[in-house]
Amino acid sequence: MFQQFQELPDKEAMERASSFLFESGAWTLRSMVVFSIAVSANFTQAQDTPDYYRQNCLNCHTIGGGRLTGPDLKDVTQRRDAEWLIQFMQNPKVVIDSGDPYAARLVEESRGVVMPPSPGMDRYRAEQILKLIEAESKLEKSQFQGIRISNKPFTEADRQAGYAIFLGEQRLTNGGAACISCHDMHDMPALGGGRLGPDLTLIYERLKGRKALSAWLMAPATETMQPIFKNHPLEVEEIHALTAYFESAASHQEDNATTARISFLLLGLALATGILFLFDAIWKWRFTAVRAPLVESSASQTAFNVRTRAPLDNPSPLNSQPSEGVQ
Amino acid sequence: MQVRSQVSMVFHLDKCIGCHTCSIACKNVWTDRKGAEYMWWNNVETKPGTGYPTRWEDQEKYQGGWQSNGNGKLDIKSTSKTRIVPNIFHNPHMPSLDDYYEPWTYDYQNLFTAREGADQPTAEPISMIDGEKIDVQAGPNWDDDLGGSPIYAENDPNLEGLTEQQRLQLSSVERLVFFYLPRICNHCLNPCCVASCPSGALYKRGEDGIVLIDQKKCRAWRSCVAACPYKKTYFNWFTGKSEKCILCFPRLETGQAPACFHSCVGRIRYLGVLLYDAERIEEIARLPDDELVEGHREMILDPHDPEVIDAAKRSGISDGVIESAQNSPVYRFVKEWKIALPPHIEYRTLPMLFYVPPMSPVQATKPEDTISHSSENLFHDIDESRVPMKFFANLFGAGHEGVVRYALAKQKAVRWHRRAETVGDVDRELADRMLREANCTTEEADEIYKLTALCTFEERFVIPPMHREQAIEMMKEPHEHREETGFGFVGGPRRGM
Repeated sequence: MFQQFQELPDKEAMERASSFLFESGAWTLRSMVVFSIAVSANFTQAQDTPDYYRQNCLNCHTIGGGRLTGPDLKDVTQRRDAEWLIQFMQNPKVVIDSGDPYAARLVEESRGVVMPPSPGMDRYRAEQILKLIEAESKLEKSQFQGIRISNKPFTEADRQAGYAIFLGEQRLTNGGAACISCHDMHDMPALGGGRLGPDLTLIYERLKGRKALSAWLMAPATETMQPIFKNHPLEVEEIHALTAYFESAASHQEDNATTARISFLLLGLALATGILFLFDAIWKWRFTAVRAPLVESSASQTAFNVRTRAPLDNPSPLNSQPSEGVQ
Repeated sequence: MQVRSQVSMVFHLDKCIGCHTCSIACKNVWTDRKGAEYMWWNNVETKPGTGYPTRWEDQEKYQGGWQSNGNGKLDIKSTSKTRIVPNIFHNPHMPSLDDYYEPWTYDYQNLFTAREGADQPTAEPISMIDGEKIDVQAGPNWDDDLGGSPIYAENDPNLEGLTEQQRLQLSSVERLVFFYLPRICNHCLNPCCVASCPSGALYKRGEDGIVLIDQKKCRAWRSCVAACPYKKTYFNWFTGKSEKCILCFPRLETGQAPACFHSCVGRIRYLGVLLYDAERIEEIARLPDDELVEGHREMILDPHDPEVIDAAKRSGISDGVIESAQNSPVYRFVKEWKIALPPHIEYRTLPMLFYVPPMSPVQATKPEDTISHSSENLFHDIDESRVPMKFFANLFGAGHEGVVRYALAKQKAVRWHRRAETVGDVDRELADRMLREANCTTEEADEIYKLTALCTFEERFVIPPMHREQAIEMMKEPHEHREETGFGFVGGPRRGM
């Protein structure tokens, strides 16, 4: 029913809704809900464009806040024509793959990160977003300026805080998952970090320094990380601490990787052995073979009897050689 | 009093000649199938011996039967509701194939197809499970007639409590002795297999007490295999279902004796209905060891007692079954004469198969090449028997000699009485004294003699009218059943749900 009303112009929708209500002849609560949805259907879409931007774009693009993973979008409508932007927004990968030189440059600037497709992006929404960017660009201070990256020098306390955040010992303020869930570092405890994401020991070097790393952390842009951190962004202090930790780790080479792997293997073996012993203890009274051990234990015994069988004239050979097996 | 009827059995071991005809009859009728090759619903064991599967009586190993849990209740030894889950992937008390045996046949084709050579071709043993050649190391009856090796006889669990002297005497020259123990499912009153089944596939038929496994409900837990202390349920590795002796119920329902009973050469088997008080099962199963045999007998009711007859009718037992119970040979052996005893009642499953313990020759010594017997009465001095009383007590009296001695003394007295009657070389007064000592009247002795030695087919097998047309009412509308019956399995039992 919602779908049906949404597609119609407001006036007609209202008519349809009211005629429906009259037909049904009952002013129930349900009918009222249907009515209000029908009326509000069209302008909710316009209303939520800023929210949409906040949820899907702000991770990588500020408006007047400087470059993050993606470029600053302030006055982007003056730099490129609207049609190109709308095409790009709807399907970034197609435009990049088409060999467009401008798109190629953008990819290079963002260190190879391709803009992921945005959910629910269509022509109408792209137009709305461009309108929003245009309006925001004219403002002195846009609401989408983003967070400012700190320039404070790193201290030992920062590094330790970063380490704690990485391990998850200190929870992220906005409830994001701890880094260790998916990433490994050179100085992780015995079991190491997760294997889903890459080892982050040298991430500070790979992203060429503090600014880019902070920008990344502000809005992680990979397809795996984006949905996780979209609604649970890191706080500025957390980014600072983590960057400090990554900076200190970058001086280590990945020399510990092999040791970590071996210790992981050994630990696994030790655990497995321990579990086997535990099972053996739990099922100590389990059934084991009866016949084979019985015959084996008596076999030597029987052979003994045969070898030492007394001459035939002995009145009672078995009596003189009592067998031990009967005990 | 809640009266129920049970088709029960007596095996008269003094008459068993160990010919295995019963085993073969059963094998041919029921277990000559893929997956059932190793099963012997009926088997005959040599005693002393370890039986089949090897040392099945050793419940320390096999964990069969019930045990008292200290709160006056009985627990299944092998499993419990809480232990089913941790043992879900491995039942820790399952006998292995080796403890039964790997079934085999012979490669007879080789006798015809072997290439010409210096040696005569032979039919080598091949496994009936994988078809590979095997080195046969064990069989279901490997120690038959003591099999030429003392290994098995020496390891009989019933030798427990025997003195070194008694053990030696069992295997010594001129002292050596053995008897046979034919075994089928005991169709117990307190069946451990039924209690252990997590799927509820096992049940004891209300009308005749036969214990059966529903092949469609069985989910291959094999709890029954571990739980049965007599190891009389078997797992069919091909269909993935457990199977057991069904007391040939299709034969019983048509008025025929079960195949093993029918084919018995020594006529050792008796079959008849017993009425028992179902309300007392739990109470009796919890009695201390030395009271179990008596308690079990007490639970069996006198079918001539008007009160019992009334109660039986109230429980829906038909006149035909009550009449059958009154003529039951089993009732006379077990309850009237008290010479038939349940095997290993200390497992507390209350078996409904009873054994008349066998007589054995008296001991002998062989000093200086002449055999002399310790008693003049070669076959009749029970305390000088070659099979020690303790051995019988372990087997039939839960370790207590009283009931076994009573049964043997009465048998001995009957022999002397009949000897005095027919041959006359025994002093009549001596025979009468022995009868008195054995708590036996002349009439009873004649009755025992008659049912033991001169029994006819009809006297041995008093098969009750099964009234399937009434029994089916419990499950289904009889007319509906009639329409559906007779078409057999749509598909035989198979693995899975």
